[in-house]
Amino acid sequence: MNARDGILGRVREAVARRERREHPGSFQGWRPEPLPEDALVGFTQLFEAAGGEVLRFESEAAGREWLHGFAAAFAGVAVGETVPAALRPDRPALPPETAPLGVSMARGAVAETGSLVLDARDGRRTQLLPPTHVVFVRRDEVVATLQEALAILRDDLPSAVGLHSGPSKSADIGQILVKGVHGPGRVVAAVVGTVGTGP
Amino acid sequence: MSRSRPSGYSAESSRILRDDPGMRAAVTAATRTFDDHRRDAWTRIDADAWRSWAEGVKSHLLTHLDTYLEQAEERLVANGAHVHWAETTDEALAALGAVVDRHGVASAVKGKSMLSEELGVNDFLEARGVHVRETDLGEYIIQLLGEPPSHIVGPAIHRSVEDCRVLFHERLGTAMDASPDALAAAAREALREEFVTADLGMSGGNFLVAETGTLALIENEGNIRLSTSAPRVHVAFVGIEKLLPRLDDLSAFLQLTTRAATGQPIGNFVSLIQGPRRADEVDGPEEVHVVLVDNGRTRLLADDEAWEALRCVRCGACLNICPVYRQTGGHAYGWAYSGPIGSILAPGFLGLEESLPLPYASTLCGACADVCPVRIPIPDLLLKWRRDAVDEKLTPAAERLGMAAYATAATRPGLFAVGGAAMRGTPLALGGRALPVLKDWVGERGPLVPSPKSFRRLWKEGIE
Repeated sequence: MNARDGILGRVREAVARRERREHPGSFQGWRPEPLPEDALVGFTQLFEAAGGEVLRFESEAAGREWLHGFAAAFAGVAVGETVPAALRPDRPALPPETAPLGVSMARGAVAETGSLVLDARDGRRTQLLPPTHVVFVRRDEVVATLQEALAILRDDLPSAVGLHSGPSKSADIGQILVKGVHGPGRVVAAVVGTVGTGP
Repeated sequence: MSRSRPSGYSAESSRILRDDPGMRAAVTAATRTFDDHRRDAWTRIDADAWRSWAEGVKSHLLTHLDTYLEQAEERLVANGAHVHWAETTDEALAALGAVVDRHGVASAVKGKSMLSEELGVNDFLEARGVHVRETDLGEYIIQLLGEPPSHIVGPAIHRSVEDCRVLFHERLGTAMDASPDALAAAAREALREEFVTADLGMSGGNFLVAETGTLALIENEGNIRLSTSAPRVHVAFVGIEKLLPRLDDLSAFLQLTTRAATGQPIGNFVSLIQGPRRADEVDGPEEVHVVLVDNGRTRLLADDEAWEALRCVRCGACLNICPVYRQTGGHAYGWAYSGPIGSILAPGFLGLEESLPLPYASTLCGACADVCPVRIPIPDLLLKWRRDAVDEKLTPAAERLGMAAYATAATRPGLFAVGGAAMRGTPLALGGRALPVLKDWVGERGPLVPSPKSFRRLWKEGIE
């Protein structure tokens, strides 16, 4: 008998002894106080509390203008595959292994957890290797709960999704918090556009 | 990696308390901090409702586990991942060994995984000549020290900043007065090279969603994301109990686990992995292997009481609040999982005889049950294993005789009074070192000093 049959056989025997429990139904996010009505407000609170930075731009043009100024201080930049041409900085392109700055496009953001939703199709190394990470996210794609974000992803899942909820950090050395251990130590969420009007 | 066994618990905990008092201080401070954060995080949600819901989902999962295992396998294969089934440690390591051989793996990086500790993955790879590097900062520290982790979530909480300064000075050449930031930067630099050159990345799995074949991994440093993104092959070890039915269930489990573990709303980095890199992706592993591991889990599942322990999400909340764990940290427990949860998992994973005396490493105060995010009745299960140990005659003969004698006396008031008076006499005046059962008891504890008056006498005289 192979391992698969052995394991499944023992599981079936064990399960047959139990009273079957029904699934309790969809999670309802029970909280003493509701999440902020504006998802961007909730996202900003948590993302900043975790050590991230949040900037808001009314238009892509305004976002691009800011990025040009910001990126000028860096020798080069690694840019994600799905970052629109209008948001690409005018700096030399470097591979993620050596770029001091990475720029990614998020698929969305989550208020309840303060998370950016990053898709493998944008490039995983760009999301992880440069010490500073700028992530563009569309104002319309900031949702209230992680459940909503997963529901949006569900039918179009790439090989990997990363939820990034602040800079890389660790308290493994004597319980003292340090940033930028392996992933980016500085992360800027650049929210572009206004509600309902797109970018 | 040197590790004692569960049977050495009493001697090892005595040794730690006697010879390494800094460990108690470090572990107590760290676990109190974790627990304070958990407490605060739970005031922001309706924790009772979240925990009851999570208990319900995991109980549903475990009572339909065969169906969900088959579904997870089907989805993973459809996503392009390879699925291996392992009944034992040897089979899990053999699956890894086959991948290592086929890809000619020379070096590997690993994200923190308790199951990989349970299996002894690092020793296995090193014996085959594969260079293997732990990449979680805490795991890296203890790998350099040659120690096992002492906590499910914070593997190096028993080590001080000063310990790390000395270690990094010797191994990475940092200054003896280096700041924690400088130490972390040195580790980042040393490990960055390993990430980008490793042939193989390894991880555990916090959850595996049957509906979508999604492997979910929670962390704070980004090392798991890197370990599962940079090398060309990814091998994930997943206990069969780690499944979740639906993607919709995952959001709550990601949040509840982190809130219970460190008090954060969610880990700084969460990886949701479906399979290998696809044609429209620029990077990611070419192969993803998921090793579904039993290794004693079906034995627990078959137990009418202890199966509930399989709901565990490995948050460490029960360790953080445990007054017994706080005294020693995890090393004394002698295997991968320590604290209250380790003491109830061990008899299932290792066998009851091999696990003794871990079910006794508890005051049964019940704090662990109060904090468990999936409502595992830990104190009940500790008692269950103690009961089984007595039924199977695994407790010391002297203890059995002593308990039988006590039962005889305690059910006969006259005999109890005479016995009590005798016990307050000579033998106990020696601190309990003269009687066989009590000698074992006090060998690893403080001396027993009897009250000069019996309780019944105090009662008659009127207790103030």
